[in-house]
Amino acid sequence: MSRARLILRLALQDLWHDRYVSLCIAAALVAVIAPLLLLFGLKHGVISQLQRELLDDPRNLEVRMLTSGSYDEAWLDQVRALPGVGFAIGQTRSLNTQADLLRDRRHFLEGVELVPSAPGDPMLEEAGAVPEGDGVVLSEPAARRLGVAAGDTLTLAASRRLDDRPERGRLEVTVLGVLPPARFPRPAAFIDLPLLIELERFRDGHPSPRLGVAHGNRRDDYPLRYARARIFASDDEAVAGVVAALEARHIDTASRLAEIENVRAINRVLGLIFGVIAITALIGCLASMAGAFMANIDRKRREYAVLRLLGFHKPGVAAYVAAQVGLLTLVAFAAGLGLFALGSAVFNRALASSHLAAGVVSHITVVHALIALGLTLAVALLVTALSVARAFGIQPAESLREA
Amino acid sequence: MLSLEGLHITRGQGAAGHEVRLPGLELASGEVQAVVGPSGCGKSTLLEAIGLLLTPRALRRFTLGPERTDLAALLQGGNERALAEIRARDLGFLLQSGGLLPFLSVRDNIALPRRLLGLPPQSERVAHACDVLGLAPLLDKRPGALSIGERQRTAFVRAMAHEPRLLLADEPTAALDPQAGERLFGLIVSLVQELDMAALVVSHDLALVTRFRLPRLVATLTPGGCRFAPAT
Repeated sequence: MSRARLILRLALQDLWHDRYVSLCIAAALVAVIAPLLLLFGLKHGVISQLQRELLDDPRNLEVRMLTSGSYDEAWLDQVRALPGVGFAIGQTRSLNTQADLLRDRRHFLEGVELVPSAPGDPMLEEAGAVPEGDGVVLSEPAARRLGVAAGDTLTLAASRRLDDRPERGRLEVTVLGVLPPARFPRPAAFIDLPLLIELERFRDGHPSPRLGVAHGNRRDDYPLRYARARIFASDDEAVAGVVAALEARHIDTASRLAEIENVRAINRVLGLIFGVIAITALIGCLASMAGAFMANIDRKRREYAVLRLLGFHKPGVAAYVAAQVGLLTLVAFAAGLGLFALGSAVFNRALASSHLAAGVVSHITVVHALIALGLTLAVALLVTALSVARAFGIQPAESLREA
Repeated sequence: MLSLEGLHITRGQGAAGHEVRLPGLELASGEVQAVVGPSGCGKSTLLEAIGLLLTPRALRRFTLGPERTDLAALLQGGNERALAEIRARDLGFLLQSGGLLPFLSVRDNIALPRRLLGLPPQSERVAHACDVLGLAPLLDKRPGALSIGERQRTAFVRAMAHEPRLLLADEPTAALDPQAGERLFGLIVSLVQELDMAALVVSHDLALVTRFRLPRLVATLTPGGCRFAPAT
């Protein structure tokens, strides 16, 4: 039998012989590990739930411009180049962002909101389609009230008054997709930007063969200007930066920055609370474990002296103590993890019906578990160091003197 | 087997200091010598120094075994590792209360010195000693379940399990009743002779020592200490 196996076996036999004391030492560790894991699991679970709720809704990434202006494509490119901007598209004057949608005499909607869109629009991530040409994506209320689904056709109509004569432009459009109900609560059609500009020019009196109105006042020098833009940050972390950049350009904005900051603040506060509790508990755990082990070594002073007398060198004594601390720590960690799983199951079951707990309330990742194991082993290492220093003070001659 | 000359040990300092001197000691194979003297005279201190557990103040010569390993040089050089190895290999300690490890069975306690030396846990001599000492039925018991006499017999087998050259016994019969003490003493003497070891046995029990006709190393109190010399 190799020396290492012999030491491990002796350490185990000693722990088992003193199993009630071993149980007490391990229990002290479990009493720290399990509640800390539960506390951290809750903090992590709640925060990731809140963050998921924030991130799952792309509207939280939108930075809305409150004021209108006159912006060209170059300005829009500048906005797109701002750090943290994930998507930006120009928008016409708000009066011109409405049109009527008709399926038949019984199914029609007047003054439906038209939203310019393009590939990369976060709002359309779940629609499975992007408007292009005569294809549009409808919000769920619009599709429901018109009774249409993807693949159906509709008439998009806009009216104008030219030379005191009412005129109506019409375009046959195809429904490419429908947004999930929660994404956009009002009747709306997402269309591509050229179509929106075509509608604006039609309203401004231009001829529009595409809308079936060939006459009008063509102005070739008519500049392409946007009244505002739809701007989305790339992620929740970036919203604050985009808001600041736009406000630096004197553009008033509205965003869900407050909610995002709120989650961050909750994360910070919970992190601080958890950190302080964890440090206090770890110090207490270290003190209790080190005290228990050192008292144990004092209690077994004669046995250590005999082991040294029989030929245990100092590294052997260190390995013996380390094996005992390590084994108890691993057992305690496994038990702590088990208790955490039980506690988590109770939390998740009891809170599953509450608003917060649409998903999992308390959970940790494998990385968290490994970090917790690392911290526990770090505590064990300190305990080992203190205990080994104590055990090194025991001389083999003590077995003779105290015998 | 053992040859020692000019051993001088000091314990403590100043007025509280205690000096132990042993001008010379020769122990042949199979020889058992008793160390006798009043309490506190330094018998255990002498045993510690001969057991390589204490660095003496002076030591002219100390050799052990046929190869005459120079232990004096190792002791004075403070070579802890080499001393620990010699202690584990060549010395066997029989302690007053046994010093058995409570978490090991009798069998494992006896096998431990052999395992620590990388030897097979069983040996013929160990089996023979267990038979002679009546330990065979107790091998799977823990020390806690043994009587004091059984513990001492176990401790004795453990002390000689790895077949050391020198057995150092510190009052092995002190905790035993007279009959049990005499039986153990007899076993120590006969097994040491049988196994060609040498033994130094510290004992208070002069009657026992006399009965077994053991050569004696007798303590004589001196101002500030004690001097051991063979009884003539």
